[in-house]
Amino acid sequence: MAGRGPQGKAERRSAGELESEVLAALWATEQPLTPAEIQAEIDGGLAYNTVHTILKRLYDKGLVLRDVDGRRGAYRPAKNAAQLTAEAMHEALDRGPDPIAALQQFVSGLSPEEEQVLRDLLGGRRFAGGGGA
Amino acid sequence: MRIDVYLPLLLSLLLAALSPVVGRRVAPALAARVLAVSAVFTAAATVWSLFLLAITLVNQAPPVVARAHNDGRRLPEPVPEAIALAAVLALVLVAVRVHRTARAERVTRRTLRTLCAGHPPDTELVVAESPVPQAFTIPAGGGAPGRILVTSAMLRALEPAERRVLLAHERAHLAHRHAFLSAAVALAVAADPLLTPVRTTVTFLVERWADEHAADAVGDRSATARALARAALTTGAPGPSCALNFTDRAVTRRIAALQAGPPPHLWPLAATTLALGALPALGVLDATGDLLSMLEYVPV
Repeated sequence: MAGRGPQGKAERRSAGELESEVLAALWATEQPLTPAEIQAEIDGGLAYNTVHTILKRLYDKGLVLRDVDGRRGAYRPAKNAAQLTAEAMHEALDRGPDPIAALQQFVSGLSPEEEQVLRDLLGGRRFAGGGGA
Repeated sequence: MRIDVYLPLLLSLLLAALSPVVGRRVAPALAARVLAVSAVFTAAATVWSLFLLAITLVNQAPPVVARAHNDGRRLPEPVPEAIALAAVLALVLVAVRVHRTARAERVTRRTLRTLCAGHPPDTELVVAESPVPQAFTIPAGGGAPGRILVTSAMLRALEPAERRVLLAHERAHLAHRHAFLSAAVALAVAADPLLTPVRTTVTFLVERWADEHAADAVGDRSATARALARAALTTGAPGPSCALNFTDRAVTRRIAALQAGPPPHLWPLAATTLALGALPALGVLDATGDLLSMLEYVPV
């Protein structure tokens, strides 16, 4: 349990959590990604086969598409449901403060001074693509 | 009625004053739970004591007085009529506020659930293709499991390790039922507005709790701090929708806390807070005894 390497960490994540991470990785970029690229992108060393299995599951659910025009074996996220969700979300957010009040958002806004503090924190320490040192 | 009927009001003020201290000193998971439980108890006791004060109006009704007199017994100390009337008014106000808060919570839940339309039910992550960076949870309910909604803009802004932090943070909200905790505190504050500062503290603590959970899951406190910084900078940048920027230095405080190392549990302070939450309940129990002895003389 304690003292696990990145490998161990990946193994302990559930299938559902890994699906989320693969999906998030595909949405985070403009280009379609191959399983090998996703494997490199996801922090914590997943086995190639695992990535493949997860992609198949996401494909079966209609959440990702095979990129037919581009490179063979590359995947990109399916956008229909995501666009509908965005429309519904903006409509709800515009409707007024009530529905937003109870949302637990990841972060809220900043003052200019705070912004500078945060830039200093991130300054020059941008993470390498693969993550984990 | 003796002084103890007013105890919950006094202790509400004390709990409100103590809550920021607890929030700063005690580990967030413990502090949030303790404050939430204390707030709910205190609010319930406050409402009950208002009820006790209000019902003393019955006490002054001539038939009650006559009956007690015939028995040769003394009624519990009377409450000035003005206070009893004020209590009735306060009770009406409380009822309206609680009703409004409960309705707002229901509307929010329902609205959130509609955002999942078109997404397969067994997927945790719901992506919204939007240029506005946003991330929040959709709590379980109505037979549906809890979900995490993140916009594509937010996902694009973050580095891979930071995306894991974000997902772990939101997962912690779902796993520990933070929406339920927040709703309970919101209702408590609706019933007892003196507790408003407790809600502010719990809202902050719930985020801290999820941050600590994420730092644990990813095994890297500084990556967690960077994820918060990057997400905040992305959200704070001038964009199409700036309506959500209510800030109380929350993000910078959360980052500072992550950089400072895991917070201690400090059970004594937590236990004191809980005791403070239980005290008003004891006070009104005693006052309830007075009410029961008074009701003996109400003609049925």
